Amino acid sequence: MLNQGLFNFAQWLDSFELSTRLHESYYMYNWVESTHVVSLMLSLGMLFIIDMRMLGLTLTNVPASKIASKLNLPMMIGFSIMIITGLLLFFAVPVRTTQSIWFRIKFVLLIAAAINAWLFHKKLNESVSTWDNEPKAPKRLRYAAGLSLGLWAGIVTTGRLIAYDWYDCYRAQSQFITWAAGCMAE
Amino acid sequence: MELLPFFEWAETSLLGSIGKTYGGVYAIGQSLHLMALALLGGTVLLTDLRLLNVVLRDVPSDQVIENAHKWFKVALIIIMATGIFMAAAVATRMYYNSFYWAKMTALLAGIVFVFAIKRPLLKRPHKEINPLVLKSVAMASLVIWFSVAATGRWIGFS
Repeated sequence: MLNQGLFNFAQWLDSFELSTRLHESYYMYNWVESTHVVSLMLSLGMLFIIDMRMLGLTLTNVPASKIASKLNLPMMIGFSIMIITGLLLFFAVPVRTTQSIWFRIKFVLLIAAAINAWLFHKKLNESVSTWDNEPKAPKRLRYAAGLSLGLWAGIVTTGRLIAYDWYDCYRAQSQFITWAAGCMAE
Repeated sequence: MELLPFFEWAETSLLGSIGKTYGGVYAIGQSLHLMALALLGGTVLLTDLRLLNVVLRDVPSDQVIENAHKWFKVALIIIMATGIFMAAAVATRMYYNSFYWAKMTALLAGIVFVFAIKRPLLKRPHKEINPLVLKSVAMASLVIWFSVAATGRWIGFS
């Protein structure tokens, strides 16, 4: 039911001429993909610095709240670019991407990372006044920072794996992969 | 000096064979390369945006730069190690790829710029350095490292 709905949605996106034109445009598609990858330096780069500060690995002599608040804007600019270019990449190749097991895992990890980030900031704002100048954040926030790094490692890896066709629907797959990837058509 | 025999040897070396035979290992190498690029980008942006007075203006720039440089070196080592692994598997193709050479040129320029110009300059107390010089160094650094990342991505497209 869900897989059928997603497949229909992908086919509907695929019916737009702009989707085909974007996919077939050598320069446009590659520029969008390059921007998606290069914006990692801004989004993930800032996220790494914030998480590493919480773990006591860098800038330990600067208040944690200052690092989190001042680097938040450049990080969000980076994530905005990633989301826009990511949506465009999906729009360019909707049917294959919808049926990619890697894309599906990436999407779940993205949701988990977003929830973790929301909880992290909530906890940070509640407690930061008591430990702001400490070199390390309290244990719970350190776990959240570590989880954030792990989730993003997973997101980058699954994002990279989308390019590989090992589990594509046109190949003979196990029943589980066929279900998990939502294979409806080759 | 003819470099093609070296690239042909790299492709048949153990490193090249591993990358060629095990797609999963190659993909993990690519992911590590990307994550290290993100870390490198983070340290470069933190340093250069601080020098440009865009972020952390109330934290002394010397302090920000010293902290960031440690992780810049870690990221650079991972980028180079995974980059050699990735290039070895497709070495002959890389030899004929103009973007590969553009990236190597940009990377070499970046390394020389950081260790021969930027670091020696920024080891001095920043208050003694002309602000215009600091800003010029930051802008040059952003352009160089952006070029490294962008040309690297285009290797796969050509």
